[in-house]
Amino acid sequence: MPGKSRRDFLKKSAIIGAGITGLSTSTAKAGPKNILSPDRMGVLVDTTVCVGCRNCEWACKDAHNLPAGNLESYEDRKVFEKKRRPDHTALTVVNEYSPGKNSNMPVDVKVQCMHCDHPACVSACIVGAFSKQENGSVIWDTDMCIGCRYCMVACPFQVPAFEYHKALHPDIMKCDFCFERTKEGKLPACVEICPVEALTYGPRTELVRVARERIKKNPDRYIDHIFGEYEVGGTSWMYLANKDFSELDFPKLGDKPAPGVSESIQHGIFAYFVPPVSLYALLGGIMWISKRRKELEEELK
Amino acid sequence: MKKFNYLLTVLFLVTSVSAQQNIGKKHLQLNINCKTCHTCDVPTKNEPCLVTCPRERIATVYQKPEETPELIVINELVKRYSPVYFSHRIHAQMSAMGGGCEGCHHHNTTGPILKCNSCHEPNRKRENISLPDLKGAYHRQCMDCHREWSGETGCNSCHVPLKDYKPEKKEVIQKRYAGKEHPVILEPTKLVYETNSAKGKLVTFYHDDHSKKFGISCISCHKQESCSKCHGVNRVTDNKPIKVDTKNTFEEQHRNCISCHSKNEDCSKCHSDKVLAPFDHYKSTGWALNKYHINLSCAKCHGSKLPYKKVDNQCISCHQGWNNENFKHSVTGLQLDEMHSELSCEDCHLENNFAIKPSCTNCHDDYSYPKQKPGKVVGKK
Ligand code: SF4
Ligand code: SF4
Ligand code: SF4
Repeated sequence: MPGKSRRDFLKKSAIIGAGITGLSTSTAKAGPKNILSPDRMGVLVDTTVCVGCRNCEWACKDAHNLPAGNLESYEDRKVFEKKRRPDHTALTVVNEYSPGKNSNMPVDVKVQCMHCDHPACVSACIVGAFSKQENGSVIWDTDMCIGCRYCMVACPFQVPAFEYHKALHPDIMKCDFCFERTKEGKLPACVEICPVEALTYGPRTELVRVARERIKKNPDRYIDHIFGEYEVGGTSWMYLANKDFSELDFPKLGDKPAPGVSESIQHGIFAYFVPPVSLYALLGGIMWISKRRKELEEELK
Repeated sequence: MKKFNYLLTVLFLVTSVSAQQNIGKKHLQLNINCKTCHTCDVPTKNEPCLVTCPRERIATVYQKPEETPELIVINELVKRYSPVYFSHRIHAQMSAMGGGCEGCHHHNTTGPILKCNSCHEPNRKRENISLPDLKGAYHRQCMDCHREWSGETGCNSCHVPLKDYKPEKKEVIQKRYAGKEHPVILEPTKLVYETNSAKGKLVTFYHDDHSKKFGISCISCHKQESCSKCHGVNRVTDNKPIKVDTKNTFEEQHRNCISCHSKNEDCSKCHSDKVLAPFDHYKSTGWALNKYHINLSCAKCHGSKLPYKKVDNQCISCHQGWNNENFKHSVTGLQLDEMHSELSCEDCHLENNFAIKPSCTNCHDDYSYPKQKPGKVVGKK
């Protein structure tokens, strides 16, 4: 429906305008989908169980049509020499750290989007491309994304990666909690393949209960901290470990949602980022307008 | 709600069970769901309503490793990979010092061995996520040790990819695993540790004395060993002391020692600035152990209770069955000649005191032992 698209377009142009001039987008922008369902799902990552086989890395790529190579090649443990971050080629990566308490085995930590309960990326996205879904996943609409990278700046876990290699069709990449798979009733690909079930998939409330029980039953095995239970207002993916999370490269975060989530974008961390943000907004606006124009032209044909 | 009901039942069961005094303490400590063995809610002594199990095939988890099956084929979850041939017996032997059968057969009853899938569900997508699913449970058992042992987590060390798999007859596979046993574990004789103790840095530990003489079983100290205790670590081959660098408390660090040695014993008994000599019965007691006694465990003479009971050096204190008629003198290294073998013990061993030098004066004026001997020296057997 070209008519609707045009109205949409105009509305969003106005938002961008507002963003560039006043940066008070939160009042002007269309509210993004941001559901916090009591039944939302999550994953409990037990790093004391994870063996660092990296099967999850392979399965994730395989499920997202990213070049994955063969599974055997993931046995190579040399990759652990460097710490890696998820990027546009791998939505999840596993890093290895020195052993924690009462263990002589290294700690392996799978990293991906945490699917925050109060996602900073959703609030930061000026076009409302990001959304928190009923099942707990935080996803984004590729067609709406203008490549402004606000989400990258806003994310307290530095998760969203930018697909730099497609200049004409810029895109944000991150773990989508296997939205398409779970919609069909399948498990997230990484959860399904994990040989030791270091990744437990279930309702978030249940996961918190299970995690607490594990800590209570095995006080020697775990430190008494479920990362993600309260951090930045809670996350759908949560972690157990046998050493302090700061030693595992988890950021030290308060229990309050990341700055910028509940407040207007002008406040919080964005206040300190005014120049780049305006620049991004401007660039983003231009990129989006040209991208959108091309699409409109096609739609109108 | 379901859980609440369950709790109520358990509470009820526990109270009603403990009300019956004749139910053993052990039974209550089992910490398993009553329904594992009983079919009714309130089993009583008269009506235990036990689940029917194939009695003739009942096995406990307290089997000797040698009594367990050599091979188990795990084929419940075959999808990407072929069935796994699990060499059970050799693994049972390996875990003898690492937690024993219960290491894997956890929460088992003392009755039949429960299959993993009686608790662990084959579906990963499931309601009860308190326990790992079957695939997770299997892999945790294997990979925990294997990655420690080999540092590897590749699938192909246990699995054959389905495409490369050639099915074989069970007998053929069984033959391949027959007789596979863990080699006998070589026991160290002497271990020297360099500790961070302020006084007496060196601790000399005579391992074989403790196991053979003092009769301490391997698993009373080695309860939770992993394979890497012996494999994959740099065993000390040079004679340098083994460095002990620990943040353990005194109790934690000395746990194995103070289960026999008193905590208040003189530290210098073990801690010294030099390597200590092994226990010497002669030095400590004044009585040298001969060829016969040297290989006995302490408990043989001193009883198994600690502290050891003192014994005198009279042979018949221990060898109560020995008398004039049945004693073979040759065990002492001296075979009596015909004449002397007719005599009674106290003719030479005055007052039957075998600890002092025998005397010849009862019959001979100018003979004395050992210058003159009442037979021929045969050497102690
Ligand atoms: S981790 Fe980052 S990208 Fe993921 S939901 Fe939270 S804020 Fe968004
Ligand atoms: S949930 Fe899906 S997208 Fe996210 S890391 Fe796992 S496999 Fe990848
Ligand atoms: S598949 Fe499971 S065990 Fe393997 S690295 Fe990923 S989370 Fe860890």
